[in-house]
Amino acid sequence: MLMMKAGVLRPARLVSLRKLNLDSISNGKDGVLVVGAMTTLRELERSAAVKEGWPVITRALRTLSNVRVRNVATVGGALAHADPHMDLPPLLSALGARATIAGPQGERSAPIESLYAGYLENTLRRGELITHIEIPPLGKRRAAYLKCTTRSADDWPALGMAVVLDGGEARIWVSAATDKPTRLLAAEKILKGQITDEKALRQAGAAAAEEVHIESDLHGSADYKKQLIRVYLARAVHEARNAVH
Amino acid sequence: MRREIRFRLNGEAVSAQVAPHETLVELLQEGFGLYGARESCGQGLCGCCTVLVDGRAVSGCLYLASLVEDSDVRTIEDGGELDAVQQAFIEASGFQCGFCTPGFVLMTRQLLDEIPDPSEDDIKHYLSGNLCRCGAYPEIIAAVKLAARKRKGV
Ligand SMILES: Cc1cc2nc3c(=O)[nH]c(=O)nc-3n(C[C@H](O)[C@H](O)[C@H](O)COP(=O)(O)OP(=O)(O)OC[C@H]3O[C@@H](n4cnc5c(N)ncnc54)[C@H](O)[C@@H]3O)c2cc1C
Ligand code: FES
Ligand code: FES
Repeated sequence: MLMMKAGVLRPARLVSLRKLNLDSISNGKDGVLVVGAMTTLRELERSAAVKEGWPVITRALRTLSNVRVRNVATVGGALAHADPHMDLPPLLSALGARATIAGPQGERSAPIESLYAGYLENTLRRGELITHIEIPPLGKRRAAYLKCTTRSADDWPALGMAVVLDGGEARIWVSAATDKPTRLLAAEKILKGQITDEKALRQAGAAAAEEVHIESDLHGSADYKKQLIRVYLARAVHEARNAVH
Repeated sequence: MRREIRFRLNGEAVSAQVAPHETLVELLQEGFGLYGARESCGQGLCGCCTVLVDGRAVSGCLYLASLVEDSDVRTIEDGGELDAVQQAFIEASGFQCGFCTPGFVLMTRQLLDEIPDPSEDDIKHYLSGNLCRCGAYPEIIAAVKLAARKRKGV
């Protein structure tokens, strides 16, 4: 809708997905949460099951734009749109979530991160639709999502960073500053077994700022966003360690 | 290619011929002569185009008109009398030029339906997507608090 309104896309046909019954949140096997692609962000935010099992998602949604936007925006749209400034793709990637995709050849399942090829470019094939996402239970893992907005509190982010801690290991994803959700492997390696070490956190932040290609845009210059990565990495790890869950 | 849709508009059953790309603001203005929801930013940022669809606030500038089929649509023109929220905005001077007011009033209705006794943080959270170029924010927040008291009848 945003692309159509901006005149970037001029579709010849519009197809509504509203009557496909894809708007429910349910419990799958082994504690997995199954969320229909037409679930609104607001329903996800207000879901008791999400709040209980994945409070990091509830918290992240409360910072995503505003209530009016969340009332309408759907989970499927938020994943397919592939604007790197979106909040769910890095967070769901860090949580190890997957998408179920239906198409002319049947159904397939893919990790969330594999949906992205680049700026506003997803990897869905012609005729394919996201029907559900599956989010594995947090279990003993702890998670945080931090974002930095630069023009107003509810602006699209200049940086989004998701951290999931599993014992002494961190899984760290960044977006908004990059052209798609990107895993910070060099930083993760430095932090292995050292997530409480201040020096390691500083080194990991520095490594993270160097390991990804960063774009300048309306939300900040590339240099500014590099500095944000350095600072936010330690903050996000800290937040995850202290996450109440 | 127009299609007929039926829905309830401010309590009345209505029908309209809509084109697939038509927005809700366009339908309300051109089809029904209702100008309370107006397009300003056209991008979901300002809230001037707010409309309640089944009790939830949506940006009329980004909402396809055909999606209101079988829904309950409420605009600021709803009802003959002013409700507690409108009355509170008048008493607390929650506006200057009034351009943003329909959006603030409708968003406040969703807020008070969901949280009858909102904190100042709740108020800011729900209204953060509504912009007031006249900068009447302090008065608007006071108006919402007054509206909450009025709704409770105290
Ligand atoms: C003012 C404003 C501010 C915003 N700020 C943020 C923000 O800070 N962070 C953030 O994350 N998001 C933000 N958003 C985006 C919002 O979260 C929505 O995700 C976005 O509008 C798209 O969701 P939609 O459901 O309306 O999708 P649509 O606009 O309907 O669709 C978007 C694209 O996805 C495709 N699509 C939709 N559903 C599916 C599906 N099931 N399978 C395959 N393809 C599909 C469509 O064909 C289209 O190309 C903002 C939006 C607005 C209007
Ligand atoms: S005109 Fe619709 S939100 Fe600004
Ligand atoms: S009163 Fe003028 S824009 Fe709000």
